[in-house]
Amino acid sequence: MTIVINGTTGISGIDGSAGTPAVQGTDTNTGIYYSAADTVDVATGGVQRGQFDSSGNFKFNSGYGSVATAYGCRAWVNFNGTGTVAIRASGNVTSITDNGLGDYTVNFTNAMSDANYSVVSIGTSDAINYTANVQIKNSSALATGSVQIQCYEYNNVAVKRDPVHVLLSIFR
Amino acid sequence: MNSRIIYPNDDGGVAIIVPAPECGLTIEEIAAKDVPAGKPYKIVDVADIPTDRTFRNAWEYTE
Repeated sequence: MTIVINGTTGISGIDGSAGTPAVQGTDTNTGIYYSAADTVDVATGGVQRGQFDSSGNFKFNSGYGSVATAYGCRAWVNFNGTGTVAIRASGNVTSITDNGLGDYTVNFTNAMSDANYSVVSIGTSDAINYTANVQIKNSSALATGSVQIQCYEYNNVAVKRDPVHVLLSIFR
Repeated sequence: MNSRIIYPNDDGGVAIIVPAPECGLTIEEIAAKDVPAGKPYKIVDVADIPTDRTFRNAWEYTE
């Protein structure tokens, strides 16, 4: 295989492999290689650890046991729903809307591609023997730009509450 | 941010937008993005919002 060094297109010519990556440092079994068309792979110790495939999927092995597509958290927020309602920390969230007792809307900075995302949420209850629950208000509360939630404490009956901690993450 | 955005909700009460400190937008930009279209709104200081939420659903928006 001929290595081509071109002032316009750069360096090309070798695909490499996990054991002998095309781009290496002084460690010859660690680097970047190209396992298929439109695909970039990363190897360490002669083993494939990550890949960007031809569909743009990012795959890695970080304890999964194989290199598999990673589905990232698209938005998250940790906020206090009591007293002076405030966001402690967040990602891809511009704001929350306090709609009323135990009722909030999380507004995304960058909208989701559709409303078929997954919401993982939990709240804290300071009352002993109560179970805190954060739920989606209704099916129309899942929107591309926001999600509306309602928070309850359960002890035989559901009572709407303002939790001290509301923790919510969006996956897609 | 020490500001909040308030607007009347559809139930006769008031909605309060709480900005995310790390979002990188100004309070005016957040208002433009997150207040529902056509709703009047006001930007107020956080100290103007009651902290006792016992009767939160009875709060009203006034011009």
